[in-house]
Amino acid sequence: MQWLYLYFPSLQLDSLLHQQAYNHACVLVDKNQVVQANPQARQLGIKNGTGLAQAALLCAQIKVITYNAKQEQRLLSQLAQCLYQTSATLYLDPPQGLLLQTSDMLRLYEGLAAYWQQLQHPLKERSLNYHYASAHSPLAAKVLAQAGNDRLLTHQSDATRLLSQLPIQHAGLGHKLALQLERLGLNTLGQAQALPRCALGQRLGKTLVTYLQQLEDCSAPSRPAYQPPERFRQRLELLYEIEHSTALKFPLKRMLTDLEAFLAPRQLRAAGLSLGIEYREHESQRMHVGCSDGEYKAEPWLALFALKLEQLKLPAPIIAISLNTKGQMPWAPLSQQLFEPTGGKLTSGQLISRLQSKLGDHAVQQVYLHDDHRPERSFYQGMPQSHNQTQQATTSLRPSLLLTLPKALHHKPDHHWCILSGPERIQSGWWDNVNICRDYFIARNSCGQVCWLFRTPAEDWFLHGYFS
Amino acid sequence: MALLQLEKDRLVWRARQVTGPDQRRQSSSYPTLDAHLQGGWPQTGLVELACGSTGIGELRLLFPLLAKAQARLQVWINPPAQLNGQALAQYGISLSQTLLIRCQNPQHALWSAEQSLNSGCCSHLILWAKSLTAPQAKRLQVSAKDNQSLMFWLHPQAEPSTSALPVSARFSLAPLATGLHLKIHKYQGQWPQHPCQVDMHELWPSLAMPAYVAAPKPTNAPKNNIKAFPLNTLKLQ
Repeated sequence: MQWLYLYFPSLQLDSLLHQQAYNHACVLVDKNQVVQANPQARQLGIKNGTGLAQAALLCAQIKVITYNAKQEQRLLSQLAQCLYQTSATLYLDPPQGLLLQTSDMLRLYEGLAAYWQQLQHPLKERSLNYHYASAHSPLAAKVLAQAGNDRLLTHQSDATRLLSQLPIQHAGLGHKLALQLERLGLNTLGQAQALPRCALGQRLGKTLVTYLQQLEDCSAPSRPAYQPPERFRQRLELLYEIEHSTALKFPLKRMLTDLEAFLAPRQLRAAGLSLGIEYREHESQRMHVGCSDGEYKAEPWLALFALKLEQLKLPAPIIAISLNTKGQMPWAPLSQQLFEPTGGKLTSGQLISRLQSKLGDHAVQQVYLHDDHRPERSFYQGMPQSHNQTQQATTSLRPSLLLTLPKALHHKPDHHWCILSGPERIQSGWWDNVNICRDYFIARNSCGQVCWLFRTPAEDWFLHGYFS
Repeated sequence: MALLQLEKDRLVWRARQVTGPDQRRQSSSYPTLDAHLQGGWPQTGLVELACGSTGIGELRLLFPLLAKAQARLQVWINPPAQLNGQALAQYGISLSQTLLIRCQNPQHALWSAEQSLNSGCCSHLILWAKSLTAPQAKRLQVSAKDNQSLMFWLHPQAEPSTSALPVSARFSLAPLATGLHLKIHKYQGQWPQHPCQVDMHELWPSLAMPAYVAAPKPTNAPKNNIKAFPLNTLKLQ
């Protein structure tokens, strides 16, 4: 079996810098020590392991970000998700490594070179720094990659030769063990491999023996291989604090492009997206945008978010955003008709979601019928959804415009009113305590309005609607 | 050349062209109105209806048209009261193609009207708005024409707005016992017309009187032909 190991020495920093163009010295710091530094910082002499105070002395304007192991883990699985398009079997090796099994993929790509070219593409796109090596065993590949070997070795003998020449300090053995070996006069890994295992085990402990054994062990790691997630979820920590909601569009666009890359190969559409906004010293907020037809492309989603964002008032600067899908559904052809009379630019679902994002969900409604004799309950206005009209409309004439609350008439209808039809008695609702007993008349008043009036048993008159 | 092209696109109207019903009109289902408008409503564009007061029959004028065309959405923006689903269904309007938009801000109402028209999936749009400026009317008119939609703008003034608004047609409505009195202030592509009386008795027998009853009689009969309201005869039991 053939293995390829990809090592990303500055994964978190690289992705941060890629998402937001920043061309000044910038370092990641963990426990007051620099763990990742960009080229600008390296030029100033800042190395991994430099103390924070020293780094600040070297460059006063240096941008310092806290190293976040969880975030890096998340980035690693995002990367795995991306490489999964190229390579079928891969293993996460946190915090900064990915192990890929190449032997199965070589037949598909017809050779290691073509496969490697395909694999490099997403890494270059994200402008990541990486080291790589291929070898016969997972551990050998890892050790060679972390030593910065950057070579694709097809023969086991090449890998063994390189391993045996490797200085013991770079063999990934841990500082203490490497020092012990050096003191014994073993400067390269090959010298340690040449010694009898049982003697080494007795003197230096089990760790070294296991390590040496694993170097030659070609079998797959015992942990399960990477499985891509079912749902899209991404979080982005911003290098700048954002104080205007319109500026949020740029990082959001990148996330939506990732969303598109996630949904398109799965033939899925997202029914809705939820954007989490985290503020500095303020409670975080979630923003929902829906699209009833479902959508996977970044462009329409960005347009929907833009409508929402322009109404957003920021209570504090934004420090991070996160995006996840709300409901995913499989692809379906948007239009069943080939010869539609007019080529619509949007579907009705897209129009509805656009209107809803600007005006609010409750401003856009559809009318549904309800089986009830009481006029105000015989229909209702609800959210637009796939309409399934089963109810039959009543046969007696109803006004097209109905007042929400009947308006009391101050005077009884007199000779200025002309009765057109009536009375129609509606007595209903004894079962749910909204009992009505009304006699309805259709009458035209002196202004020519055709009104729907009713009279209660107490001889009060009300106007309830217009036959507009 | 330019004039020829304009004529080909039927953008230049010559008075001698007044012939039979225009192919690009759609029937309103009211024979008198169709005769006056030479075929009926325009296919596309913005139509202004000055209604005076709500409930005189302004929607009844449109319902036959709306009931016929249901391939695309029909959008209602800011109706003055609740849109009664029972009535719409009775008149043959598909509720699944009816979209209702309510917004307080008049700017938002215009924005949603333009979006609906530009989406291409809306065939008719009925907007209630107090007033439109000339640029707003022009934008809506262009959107409606480009997307094969017909938009009605209803407002509560008795007289139409200034004649400078770029609309396809401008009418003012007044109530009649038999239906509606329709004044045609502007109708693109034809000579000014006399006012028209729309007889609604045929389609709405219980809401409008037949013309022969409502016609003024030479006798001393009461002018308005209104019956006294039967207050005393209709007592609740």
